[in-house]
Amino acid sequence: MKREERFWRLVFLTPPLLVFGVLVVWPLFSSFYYSFTDWNGFDPNYAFVGFANFGKILTDRLFLNAAINTVIWMIAALLLPTLLGLTLALLIDSHVPGAPVFKSIFYLPICLSAVVVGQIWVWIYQPDWGLLNTVLETATGGAQNFAWLAKPGTALYAVIVAWSWQQTGLSMVIYLAGLTAIPRELLEAAELEGANSWQRVWHVVIPLLTPATVVAVALSVINSLKGFDILYIMTAGGPFNSSDTLAMHMYNESFKKYLMGYGSAISVVLFLVALAIIWLYFRELKKVDEIYG
Amino acid sequence: MAEALARRPAQPFNPWPLATFVILACLAVLFLAPTIGVLLSSIKTTRDIALGELWSIPPSLYLGNFAEALGNPSVHGYLVNTLLVTAPATIASITLGTLGGYVFAKLPFRGSSLLFLAIVAGMFFPPQVILIPLFRLFNAAGLIDTLWPLVLIHTAMGIPICTLLMRNFFATVPNALRETAVVDGANEWQVLTRIALPLSLPALAVLATLQFTWIWNDFLWPLIFTKSDEKRTIMLGIVNMKGQYSVAWGVQGAMSLIASLPTLIVFLFFQRYFIKGMIMGAVKG
Repeated sequence: MKREERFWRLVFLTPPLLVFGVLVVWPLFSSFYYSFTDWNGFDPNYAFVGFANFGKILTDRLFLNAAINTVIWMIAALLLPTLLGLTLALLIDSHVPGAPVFKSIFYLPICLSAVVVGQIWVWIYQPDWGLLNTVLETATGGAQNFAWLAKPGTALYAVIVAWSWQQTGLSMVIYLAGLTAIPRELLEAAELEGANSWQRVWHVVIPLLTPATVVAVALSVINSLKGFDILYIMTAGGPFNSSDTLAMHMYNESFKKYLMGYGSAISVVLFLVALAIIWLYFRELKKVDEIYG
Repeated sequence: MAEALARRPAQPFNPWPLATFVILACLAVLFLAPTIGVLLSSIKTTRDIALGELWSIPPSLYLGNFAEALGNPSVHGYLVNTLLVTAPATIASITLGTLGGYVFAKLPFRGSSLLFLAIVAGMFFPPQVILIPLFRLFNAAGLIDTLWPLVLIHTAMGIPICTLLMRNFFATVPNALRETAVVDGANEWQVLTRIALPLSLPALAVLATLQFTWIWNDFLWPLIFTKSDEKRTIMLGIVNMKGQYSVAWGVQGAMSLIASLPTLIVFLFFQRYFIKGMIMGAVKG
């Protein structure tokens, strides 16, 4: 019996582990290897340069710029989709008529591709006939032709808003799932004690939603690190690198300038940042599990 | 509802439900506006849009943009390529995830939970961390500018979520069912295919919708691994066509709609599975 189990374990696990190992795990470690070389992407001959690529990271002003933008994106990801998602979930959960329809509407953007979402928002920000400037014209009465995506001061934030539009639905369904887990008796008890709606939400519902908040926050922060496609479509990191992120910078250095050694070093940094966040997330999940069973 | 009314007969008019509805309706309009914009653009002439009429309701339906987009032979190629990547990669990743998930749920071994965690963590990493070595690998194998790298990568990248969901679903299949079958002389393959899988159809539906949507919508991998127009997928294709139709906004809108149609249909019909999958993938680490 035991021998048979071992046999089937081997038969079942070998295919997925082989594919995953060759196409995900091995490349991951290779990235570390290439980060110590000056490989240019084509030449079979390359040299080991020690920590030179990592030294370059410290002096590369574009890297610093991309790192700051990535942090801004992460902070926005922490706040925008999460808060909006929580608000929507609370409103929808209050037995409003048409709740399923509302849910679908707010969730719809998540099934659209980053390419399509990017294109939609390029049109919204279009200076001459874009929706945003059209609305501003109606509101102010004056002509508006501000080029939101072409100005270094607004490009990054304009992309973040578009990205949040797509992410909000995900936070919302996570909060909705969290809300169904809150026992009705607790809310009824609070009501009997004389707590009004605001107090019930603030002192009972939101603290009980902590697990959902952990998940929603972690997912949007992790997804913000992956935010590449929509940025590529909307600004490609421009103008003047003002909306560059680490993922974008890595792509540009590797596949535009063919500095694959340096690009690997950036990807190693990206990996370490992601690892730290994922580690924190898994630790919090465990705690959440222990507290709420 | 009737119960609540009976309990509190003398309650004054409560404005909250109405206010909530109005707030939600306003937000819904705001949320739908971008999507509706594309819809409207696709049924208007370029001239109307250039005159600043993109966001108004057109007096008549103009289908020329769709005719133009669907008449472009490149678009047919893009759609076929996307299907040739999406269908096999969806099936392969679910198959591999099923095999792995079954072992982690029903045949655990020393260190299996750690191995499981390591695989699941793969779901959360930005794809940039494996980009360069994969580029080198597929370059050496002569597979650049074919659809093979896309099928292989999406299969591999799908393994974490598929393994996770299948393991969690198999864990709910009672152990007694398996043990009875084993005593009756069934091997693990038979238990998996005749007992566990038939009970796991909802999980398979969840994974099929998620994987199909993600792979269909992908942009990064075809950007890196395809070069010629003949090998482009639809998302890369519509980005590259922007030059060709630089001011033909209506055609661009029609093309976006055509590209989104398969995932929109999947979403409309399998929304329940889709949402369930997103939540399960997020919470059960």
